[in-house]
Amino acid sequence: MKSIGGLLEKIDDQLNPIVVKELRQAVQGKFLIVVLICFLCLQLLTVGLFLTDRGVRESFSAGQDVFRVLLGMLLGTCLLFVPAYTGIRLASERADANVDLLFITTLRPHSIIWGKFFAGIVLTILLYSACMPFMTFTYLLRGVDLPSVFVLLAFDFIVVAVSIQCGILIGCIPANRILKMILGAGWLVVTFITFVTLLFTMFGPSGLLDSGIGSQLGSWKFWRGALGVLLGGGTSIGLLALLSMALISPFSANRALSVRIFITATWVLTGAYVGIWSRGVNNLDPILLWATLHILVYSAGLFVAVSERATLGLRLRRTVPRKRLLRPLAFLFYSGDASGVVWSSLMIILTLLFIGVWLIIFPRMQTGDNIEAVGPLVCLGLYAFSYTLGASLIRRRFLANRVTSAYTWVIALILLGITTTIVPLGLFFIYGDWNKEWLVASPLGPFLFSDTKGFVSNSIAIATVFATFIGALSLPWFFRQFSHFRPPLETEQQTAHGNGSG
Amino acid sequence: MQVNILNLRKNFGTTRAIDDISFSFASGQIIGFVGPNGAGKTTTMRILATLDEPTSGDAKIDDISIVEVPEQARQLVGYVPDSLPMHRDISVHEYLDFFARAYGLTGTQRRQVVENVEEFTNLTGIRERTLYALSKGMKQRVSLARALLHDPPVLVMDEPAAGLDPRARVELRELLRILSDQEKAILISSHILTELSEICDRAVIIEQGRIITAGTLQEIAKSDVEQHTVLIRPLDRQDDLYQVLLLIPNITAVNRLENEIEVKITGSDEACSELLENLIRDGYRIVEFKQQGSDLESVFMNVTKGEAQ
Repeated sequence: MKSIGGLLEKIDDQLNPIVVKELRQAVQGKFLIVVLICFLCLQLLTVGLFLTDRGVRESFSAGQDVFRVLLGMLLGTCLLFVPAYTGIRLASERADANVDLLFITTLRPHSIIWGKFFAGIVLTILLYSACMPFMTFTYLLRGVDLPSVFVLLAFDFIVVAVSIQCGILIGCIPANRILKMILGAGWLVVTFITFVTLLFTMFGPSGLLDSGIGSQLGSWKFWRGALGVLLGGGTSIGLLALLSMALISPFSANRALSVRIFITATWVLTGAYVGIWSRGVNNLDPILLWATLHILVYSAGLFVAVSERATLGLRLRRTVPRKRLLRPLAFLFYSGDASGVVWSSLMIILTLLFIGVWLIIFPRMQTGDNIEAVGPLVCLGLYAFSYTLGASLIRRRFLANRVTSAYTWVIALILLGITTTIVPLGLFFIYGDWNKEWLVASPLGPFLFSDTKGFVSNSIAIATVFATFIGALSLPWFFRQFSHFRPPLETEQQTAHGNGSG
Repeated sequence: MQVNILNLRKNFGTTRAIDDISFSFASGQIIGFVGPNGAGKTTTMRILATLDEPTSGDAKIDDISIVEVPEQARQLVGYVPDSLPMHRDISVHEYLDFFARAYGLTGTQRRQVVENVEEFTNLTGIRERTLYALSKGMKQRVSLARALLHDPPVLVMDEPAAGLDPRARVELRELLRILSDQEKAILISSHILTELSEICDRAVIIEQGRIITAGTLQEIAKSDVEQHTVLIRPLDRQDDLYQVLLLIPNITAVNRLENEIEVKITGSDEACSELLENLIRDGYRIVEFKQQGSDLESVFMNVTKGEAQ
């Protein structure tokens, strides 16, 4: 007995404090109890209504019908309540005026974020377990096989896990209440779209349920899809978690390091995966999808990068390699505006190069459609570079005393808004006629009119000139930033030490 | 252990909340941090607790910078905010147990520390109550208990006596004395200046984000040369004296008490001496002429204008 007690104590000590606290509060609070009771009542009512229907006895698909409704309810509940509960709690703990004291304990950011995530996962498991008896019952009603039940439940679970991590990221974003509400509303819209898409994927005319998952378990096609979902889900959770950790890490830490290493590693791994997939289906589509997602991420990365700090503190500079040859490589993985811009731009170039090299190696995959699909991606990368670096230039030259670097992304968005909406709308009102060429300076234009001959090539030409011009103007700034990327001199270290003891 | 606040600045947009603040304190000292509302006290304390980052400047606990290595500084600082962040569905004991876990305490040690702190802050009787149901005084005790869990050498307390009844204030004062005897460096802000003057070794007075004056209470009182309060007891002709005093230019206020006249005079000790000399020369028979020592409250009233940022 004593050894069991000791073992339990050891397990207790190993538990993440955040998980312990969150679950204690969840089970003692009213929210979870109310959601759980409502959820159970709805399920009972649904099964009851189905059973009172006389047609059920003769039907061979009654189990499948009930399963559809129950799984829809489970997915809706988990997708809406668990991420919202987790995210809102975290957002209130991170509120500007009332940051919770747990953030000034010695708990590391990864413990906090994974603690919040696992607490959300446990709540999801609780809701799943409340659904299990009813799900088992659907099997007895006929029309649904066990592999379908388990695979669909697992599939939904991964989506809910990603959504929980997304809620945590929104909760961590340092924004005022209004911006957080806007982000929350955006999340709600995305959740609704995800919910409808999932229902369609699972229960649509050629959905997973109708196709009978049990019969596909032996096929490569099924496992390739499953691996893709697992890889996509795992990558999304990892990336969102690292971004959340970066947001709650101290300003003086190298917040970019883990995020950039993770994304670079993901680029390699997912690149290899879509390469194999593309060869398997003898089609460029998997690579185009992969490239689109990656370029979107790096374009967003450029907006974040220009809003990062310009100078490194002593803590980070102490870790800068003393060997000059290693510095350019290290520069890519340190927090900072210039390093972020270089890393994001480099990843965009590598992604586009990957497609180019692939088409050279496998020329049979080269079709007119593919080329039209790559053009908009090139424009997206070039415009993201131009607008963000342009915003940084404007802020440094004209608004340095009024706008801090943290808001450079807002200037970039304003510039983007001007060329994407205000200018085309203004020209529309002036000329009273719509011309697609007015969107040539917008990254949206090439996507909207990719099938229009000459439009994409014009966009690429303009974007290249724009990017070259902004890049040339920013070169002195870049070299200045890079020259500051060096270990502190002995005198600087002594000054810092002297202040401390003085 | 020495805490050095070095040229600390914090801007919120275009508003400068604190402007080039520097002061220091050491183990065993209790420092009063005094200023009108909006003076920048809470901002300074939040920066010390690593809850906020300064726009420039630094604070060092011995050689550990709160800007460069906040993770290490957090181990050394216990912060008591002006209000306990709300955790609706958690008991006092669970709350303290969570923070003990968060500070890396494990097993028997964690249980022992939590029990000791609960006993020290007199929370043992209410440990199963939820935080939501606690009174202001109880919440302040919970907040202090939480700050003591990792036995930090530096305590930063923002208005810990606000809203406490007289008994709770006496208890808090006793706790602070014990903590000071345990060689903790304590920075405490309060609006109840009589309380502070009883427990503080030194004080820092701040207004509009700038330090107005700092030092031991005696030093501050001495430096308060702007205005003196003098009690004068004449043997006779009290009404005449009252009228004469009203006409003297550097006297800002004259109050008639029962047998005495209270005079507020602007200037140094020399001005007081000159006043006495003039009164005797004019034939007033003075029985008592007493300069009153400045307490923290009067110093505070004299040196601050009550303006927020």
